[in-house]
Amino acid sequence: MSQSPAPIQRPARRGWLRDLRRLLLYTAKRLLALFVTVLVGVYLTIVIANMGGQVDELRRVQIRSEAAEAVRADPAFQDLSSEERHELIERQVALEVERLRLDEPFMVRSVDYLQQAMRLDLGRAEQMHSDRGSRAVYDIIVERLPATVLLFGTANLLVFFTSVLVALFLSRRYGSALDRSVVALAPTSAAPGWFYGIFLILLFAFVVPWLPAGGMVAVPPPESNWAYAGSLVRHLLLPVAAMFLSQIFISIYSWRTFFLIHASEDYVEMARAKGLPSRLIERRYILRPTLSPIITSFLLMLIGLWSGAIILEQVFNWPGLGSLLFQAIGHRDTPVIIGSVVIFAYLLAVTVFLLDILYALLDPRVRIEGGQR
Amino acid sequence: MKRLVLAGLALVVVGIVVVAVRPPSSSPPPAAPAVDEDLTADELEGRRGALVDRVVFTQEADVGRVTGLIEAGKIQVFGQGIANPTVFRQLRDSLQADYDVAYGTTSELTLNPAGPTLETGGLNPFHVPAIREALNRLVDRDYVAQELYGGLAVPRFLPLSTAFPDYARLAGVARELELRYAHDPEAARETIFREMEALGAERVDGQWHYDGEPVRLIGLIRTEDARRQVGDYIANLLEDLGFVVERRYRTAEEASRIWIATDPAAGQWHFYTGSWIAIAIQRDQAQVFSFYYTPRGRAEPLWQAYEPSPEFDELTERLQRRDYATWEERQAMMARALELAMENSARVWLVDQLNVSARAANVEVAVDLAGGLSGSALWPYTLRYTDRVGGEMVFGTPGLLTEPWNPVAGSNWIFDQMILRATQDPVVLPDPFTGLFRPQRIDSAEVTVQESVPVVRTLDWLDVNRVDEIPVPEAAWIDWDSEAQAFVSVGEKHPEGITARTRVRVNYEEALFERRWHDGSRFSLADIVMPWILTFARADEASPLFDVAHLPTFEAFQRHFRGWHIVSRDPLVIDIYSDQIFPDAETIAASRAPQPQPWHTLALGILAERSGELAFSSNKADRLQVDWMSLVAGPSVPILARHLEAARADETLPYASVLGDLVGENEVAERYRALADWHAERDHFWVDSGPFQLASVHPVAGSLVLERFAAFPDPADKWLRFSQPMVPELDLEGPLVVESVSPAHRSALPDEGDAQQDDDETSAVRFDLEITFQGEPYPREAIEEVQYLLFDGRGNLVARDEARPREAGRWRIALTPQTLARLGTGANSLEIAVTSQRVALPTFASHVFATVPPGGLEVVP
Repeated sequence: MSQSPAPIQRPARRGWLRDLRRLLLYTAKRLLALFVTVLVGVYLTIVIANMGGQVDELRRVQIRSEAAEAVRADPAFQDLSSEERHELIERQVALEVERLRLDEPFMVRSVDYLQQAMRLDLGRAEQMHSDRGSRAVYDIIVERLPATVLLFGTANLLVFFTSVLVALFLSRRYGSALDRSVVALAPTSAAPGWFYGIFLILLFAFVVPWLPAGGMVAVPPPESNWAYAGSLVRHLLLPVAAMFLSQIFISIYSWRTFFLIHASEDYVEMARAKGLPSRLIERRYILRPTLSPIITSFLLMLIGLWSGAIILEQVFNWPGLGSLLFQAIGHRDTPVIIGSVVIFAYLLAVTVFLLDILYALLDPRVRIEGGQR
Repeated sequence: MKRLVLAGLALVVVGIVVVAVRPPSSSPPPAAPAVDEDLTADELEGRRGALVDRVVFTQEADVGRVTGLIEAGKIQVFGQGIANPTVFRQLRDSLQADYDVAYGTTSELTLNPAGPTLETGGLNPFHVPAIREALNRLVDRDYVAQELYGGLAVPRFLPLSTAFPDYARLAGVARELELRYAHDPEAARETIFREMEALGAERVDGQWHYDGEPVRLIGLIRTEDARRQVGDYIANLLEDLGFVVERRYRTAEEASRIWIATDPAAGQWHFYTGSWIAIAIQRDQAQVFSFYYTPRGRAEPLWQAYEPSPEFDELTERLQRRDYATWEERQAMMARALELAMENSARVWLVDQLNVSARAANVEVAVDLAGGLSGSALWPYTLRYTDRVGGEMVFGTPGLLTEPWNPVAGSNWIFDQMILRATQDPVVLPDPFTGLFRPQRIDSAEVTVQESVPVVRTLDWLDVNRVDEIPVPEAAWIDWDSEAQAFVSVGEKHPEGITARTRVRVNYEEALFERRWHDGSRFSLADIVMPWILTFARADEASPLFDVAHLPTFEAFQRHFRGWHIVSRDPLVIDIYSDQIFPDAETIAASRAPQPQPWHTLALGILAERSGELAFSSNKADRLQVDWMSLVAGPSVPILARHLEAARADETLPYASVLGDLVGENEVAERYRALADWHAERDHFWVDSGPFQLASVHPVAGSLVLERFAAFPDPADKWLRFSQPMVPELDLEGPLVVESVSPAHRSALPDEGDAQQDDDETSAVRFDLEITFQGEPYPREAIEEVQYLLFDGRGNLVARDEARPREAGRWRIALTPQTLARLGTGANSLEIAVTSQRVALPTFASHVFATVPPGGLEVVP
């Protein structure tokens, strides 16, 4: 019978260094993976937005047609001979081709786009302008950000907190009339927000004209700050209501089911058996262990604001990022499309990375290297 | 917890109700009343400039909501033309909304002329002109207009727009051709079958085969509008004739790289549902034949595949060059070109689409016959409530501040231009219904042309003189020397002397220099001269303002520009010499007359571009990687403000060597002070002299406010007579059955002579035409021509003449027995074409009557 060697007590300092090394290694690997993901995602966006370079051909035809039509429609050029008119068109086309760098191969441009995007150098738009007239992609995006944050932030925060609170409430009243009503109403969320928006506009802007049919603020915008804020709220009501209606029931249903599952865990049953008050059980035994998925959902919801909602913004004539992206796609303005995507990609990557850290802080069971210390 | 949730919900509900029932900060304009009450002269008396006090523009892209928004009083006018039949019906049926109609968009069928066999080995029937021509009879244009376009279109057969003056001038010829190519599917079928057999194709089981394969046609069908249905309709017609049709539904972008960019011989398409847009009335369409039917049109492969007949080719080329000595010769050439165009039929014209401009029922505004409201030059001068003076009006528009605004090379977007037009006051303005220019800041003009130049004058604000030679005076300015900062005279540049084909002498109104810009500063001669210097400086490589994007248009301008000369400073008289010719003297004067622009705002732009911080044009801005200059918003405004401060301190006057002599005492300081005050109050630099001034801009919120310019000098009703197009309304009456002349009598009648009888009592048959507008007789002096065409039962043109005027609004066509004899017996048709000087749109009426043998009218017992 052999005797097992006695465990070697390593100094605490070595353990800390090992943890730090592992943490740094993990962080480096994770950051690298996220960087590569962003790189691939952005490059795919560049390739798809340009249809693998085929957009160049479309643009050339479009540029030529626009130049030809402009020359045809201008009486000042009517007396030019055909040759002179063709030459004029060719010169206009050449200027535009040069401006858009269409004389360079798409592959070269795509690499330029990529390296600029990865450096967050958003550059200049090719066709679009910010509402104020700037061609810098940064200005174009930043100008629309407040409107998006206001609308989607309000609606999403309202949906998130209402649904979590109501779900928690319902999880304690499983099978009640209210619970069954929410379950029955959950499929109504299959319809998107803009669908409800159309009905709400019809009802509250046309049938009973209490609220504005669209826009962000009255025309012209009120001059005093209070009146401006009041006008903003009036314009927010319908789109927020539309988003709220479209998301709330499915969101409550999901969270309620989630809480119900966690409420039936052994440790919760044990707590109940011990006779702990229900609020304590809710806070300590249900909410705390589920904090990680709740925060994940919350953060993803927050960065989800970035993309806006194209159709909803169109329906409500809301000057947000969704309609900006829609316009950018329509104009095939690659820098603006890339700008929107790369910022979202970085936000997502940072969020995912933060969540990795947060998980470890929030949940002691989450550890590097499969929980070995 | 439950209480908390309930309390929260209650708070939210209360909040919603409070905000909802709270009146908005600025009360919206009242909804349009259904009753139309006309303004009285008293209410208009003393009013200057615009008839409304404030116009607010807001972004509204959804056409489907327009009627509802107007009915709810949220907007009063919508800026975009509406081509959607459902919305049109809503507007038509609404008591609170109304609309104006505009033309300008044309739908046609572009045919692939390559062949007869294509690179795919397949047969292309459309290579054969006779088959293309037959398609004109195959297509039922009334069906296309009424069913496929829901009534928002009118049939069109010819390359001339049915709403433009050339069509009206050639109304008789046009009507004849329209009847010749009227819907006749049997005749079309016969021709197509004959030609297909001649090509070597054969019909097997009802399908055409060539080389043992079915004849397959590819239709490129646009999907964005009613052309999808048009494409399907054409495909169905061709399938009925025995062709296999492959329908390829494509968007504009997808289709353009096929029909424009590929060689038609490659066989990637056979027909394409095309469309063309005109945003202003084109008074001279002589070049359309060359553009649409010959390789001269465009350099793309499709145009290079066109093979017009030698006669057509020569005619189109001469028309494009305006190579004719007299107006009559031109009209004869145009008439022949129309015939040859139909025989060629590289394009089959289908309909002229109508766009409606929506407005509240109690709003009136001049809408351009081609460009609609957004293309109307007169909208700021005519916009009004019919039941009151003043007030606020809200315009919905799909786009706003789409691109930066600057007066040199700023936004050219149609909706930006619509707004800008309200702030400007051009020296001439186009009549929205005829396209003829009328004076605004000009008293008169004299157009002098060389003897050989055919020019027509219609209006009496200008004179046309003809001389053998027009020498350009040595002192006239012809160029600009950026290094010397001086104009180059004709004597310096052309010591040998030069001549020009035209000279336009523009006599500006006497009070021109009494006028004020929006910021309160007074006009001066520098406002006329500085824009001219800029035109040259931007094309001069030695100038810091050089812009390569400006060169192509500048060089085209230089080809015909021969100099300009200030004859008198006050009152201002300027002579402009040029080789460029337009058929209308009014257009020549309008295109030559210099337009004033406020030199002090231009100066800020010049200083900002010289410093490399901003650029006037988009192209130069991209090259320099700076912002495209905007005088109204964005990063440009603080830059311009900084330059204003510096210029104000130094009293900077660009091009002082020339302009120093043209500005008044203290003018420089006063201008900059006025502009600084303007900027401080409104936070932008957009200054002009139109009936409205830019009050505020809200780019992100998507709105903009114009307010009435109180110092505008003209009476408010100056242009009101152009609020409605005076389209003649016709009522043609005559017998339904007429006794023909017997053969015995026919031989006794002379063969030739007038088709009409002056003496009504002895005429064989009389037709009465009533021409009215809104129930009142149409003024005799406004009628240009009342033509009639008489067709016999076989569709042959038997007579063409003019109707004779009688009492107010009434005209008569009295046919002679000789004319009646030529008709023979059968069903005949009398077609009337009325053209007016007040609207380019001709009006047609038709009367069908039967000629029966002599005694045929007697009742048989």
